Amino acid sequence: MNALGLFGAFGTLFAAGYGLLALLVRRSLQLSLAEQIAFSWLFGTGAVSLLLWVFGFFANGLLLQGLVSVVCISLGMVGWKLKTPSQIRRKPRWFEVVLTAVITIEIAIVFYLSFVHTLGWDGLLNWEIKARYAFANGGVLPAAYFSDSGRAFSHPEYPLAIPFTELWLYLWLGESNQFCAKTIFPTFYLAGTFLLAAFAVRLSRRTWLGLLMAALLFFVPQITVEAGCASAGYADFPLSVFYLAAAGCLYCMVEQGNDVFFRLYAACLALLPWVKRDGLILWIVAAACGVLVILRARKPPLSSLAFLPGIVIICAWRLYLNATHALQAADFLPFNPETFRTHLNRALPLLSALVAEFYSLPTWSLFWFTVAVAFLYSLPRMRDPGVVALVVALIAPIVLYLSLYLFSSWPNYLDHVGLSISRLLMQVVPVGFLLIVLAVSRRPEKHPQQVEMPNRATCAMARSERTAVVELA
Amino acid sequence: MTSRWSYGRIAHLLLWCGLAVALVTVSIPKIYSGATEYPLRPGGALHTTDSYLKFATGTEGASKNLISMFESMPMSKPIVIFIHKGDAFSSGLGMTTAYLASPHPVRLCEIDGTHPDNELSLINPDKVVAVVFCRLTRPAWLPPGKVFGSGLEIVSIWEKR
Repeated sequence: MNALGLFGAFGTLFAAGYGLLALLVRRSLQLSLAEQIAFSWLFGTGAVSLLLWVFGFFANGLLLQGLVSVVCISLGMVGWKLKTPSQIRRKPRWFEVVLTAVITIEIAIVFYLSFVHTLGWDGLLNWEIKARYAFANGGVLPAAYFSDSGRAFSHPEYPLAIPFTELWLYLWLGESNQFCAKTIFPTFYLAGTFLLAAFAVRLSRRTWLGLLMAALLFFVPQITVEAGCASAGYADFPLSVFYLAAAGCLYCMVEQGNDVFFRLYAACLALLPWVKRDGLILWIVAAACGVLVILRARKPPLSSLAFLPGIVIICAWRLYLNATHALQAADFLPFNPETFRTHLNRALPLLSALVAEFYSLPTWSLFWFTVAVAFLYSLPRMRDPGVVALVVALIAPIVLYLSLYLFSSWPNYLDHVGLSISRLLMQVVPVGFLLIVLAVSRRPEKHPQQVEMPNRATCAMARSERTAVVELA
Repeated sequence: MTSRWSYGRIAHLLLWCGLAVALVTVSIPKIYSGATEYPLRPGGALHTTDSYLKFATGTEGASKNLISMFESMPMSKPIVIFIHKGDAFSSGLGMTTAYLASPHPVRLCEIDGTHPDNELSLINPDKVVAVVFCRLTRPAWLPPGKVFGSGLEIVSIWEKR
C-alpha cells in the first residue's frame, strides 16, 4: 500500500514537473534524459507545494488532493504533447560507463543512508512537523500553528516547499510517515547529481568530466554523512540543487545564447525563497548575477520580468505570515546600521571561524582547497560574464552569510556559527563544482564581441565547429 | 603533438588528478565510518520520534503511547512542558513531546533548577490539561503520572480533578 502511495505521489510530482519543463522549453532546446529528470523533479516539487498552499485557501482533504492531482496530470499530458527533444546519444566510452556505474552506486548509497538514519533534528522539528500538522488538518496548516508560542521552536515562518512535498506523500500514503518522508531527500541528491553532470558536460563539452564531477560530489563528507547532509531531511541540500540549477542555467544562457536557459533560470530562481528562508539571500545573489548578464548581453528590458515570479512568492509568503500573525525567529538582532556598527568587532573572529571551517578535513575533505585553486584559474577569464556570474554566485552568498552572524542574537555568536555554517556553505557546493569544471576544462577565453552578437546561438555553435584555418580566414 | 602535451598541460593534468585523488582519499574513511555506523532498521510511521525517545528515555516505541495518551485528553486546555535550561537532552525531549502533543496547544517552560515547584505553584490547575517533566523531578505534592523510561513523566491534571 505504501509503495503504491509513493508511486502515485512521485508519479504526479514528476508529471507536473515534466509538464512545466516542456512548457518552458517549448521544443527549442535538446535536453539530456538526466536534465529532464532533474528539472522535472525540481519543478514538480516546487509546483505541487505551491499548489497545495494556494488551493489550501479554499479546499481541503480529498478535494485538495484531487484538485492538485488533476493539475499535475494535466501538466503531465501537456508535457507529453510538447515532448522535450532529447539529445542524440552516442556510444559511451568505457570510462564513461565506469563513471556512470560509480554514480549509480553512490546514489544507491545515499538512498541507503537516508533509510538507515533518522530524520535530523531540524528535519523533524522544522520541516516534517509542518507536513504532519497540515496532514492532520486535511492538508492545510492550521492558522493557530503560526502564532503558537509553544511551537515557536519549529520556525513557523519557514517556507513550505519541503514540508508540503512531504505532505504530498502523506496525502497519497493516507498517513503521516516519517520513514517514507525521507525518500524525497535522496531524490534531491539524484537530481543534483544529474544536474551537476549535465551542466559540467555543457560547460566543458566533455562527458567524462561531467560524470567525474558528479561522482566527486559524493566525496564531500558534509553532503554524504555529516550532520545536515543530503539524506538528513534538511532543506539545505535541496536548496543547493535549486541554486545549482539557477546558476548553471544562467551560465549556459551566456555561453550558448539560448533563451530557454533564461526561462529555466527564472523558474529555478523563483523557487529559491520557497525552499528555505536563506533562499532569499541566494535569490538576491542569483538575481544580481541575472541583472549582470542581462546588462552585458544587452537583453531586452522585458527580460527583467524573470524576477517577477520570485518577487511574487516572496511577497505572498510575507503577507501570509503577517495575516496569520506568525511568530518571528529570535535568532537575529534588528538589521540596521546601528547594530552593524556596534557588532563590527565580530568580523575578525567570524573570518577566522570561516577559515577554520574551510580547513575542516572531516567535514569538507579538500573541497574548498580545490575550489580555491579553481578560483585562481578563473581570474584571467573575468571578462567573460558567465565566469563572473559563477564566481559571484559562489562567493557572494558566503560573504553575506558570514555578515549575517554580525547580527546574531545568540549569547555566544560563535556557537551560532559553529552550528550552522557548514550547512550554509553546503548550499553553494554544487556551484563550486561548476567553477572546478571551468578550471579543469580550461577553455580559451571567449572574445568579448561574441557576447554582443545578435544571433549568438548560431555563432557560438559555428565557432566550435570551425577549423583554425577557417577561423583565420 | 608537442603543443598537445606541453609542460603546462602535463602540469595542469597532474594538478587536477592529484587534487581529485587527494579529495577521494581523505574522504573515504569518514564516509565509510558514517555509512557503516548504523545497521538498516525496519522503518515505521514514527521511526524518527521513536529513535529520539529511545535515546533520551530508553523506552522502545514510546511515540505511539504518548500520542494515545495525549489523544485521550480534552483539547481545550494546553499542556505544559517543563524543560531544564542548558540541558540539551531535556530540551530535545520537550520539543519531541510538543511535536507529538499536536493538536493540543503546548507551553514550553524552561527552568533553571531541576525542581519546578515554584513555577508549578504559579499555574492554575484548572487551566492546563497535563504537565510534562523532561529530565526534571516531579514535586512530591503532585500525584505521580505516567513514566516513560528515565526522564519523561506526564501528569494528567484533568484526570486527577
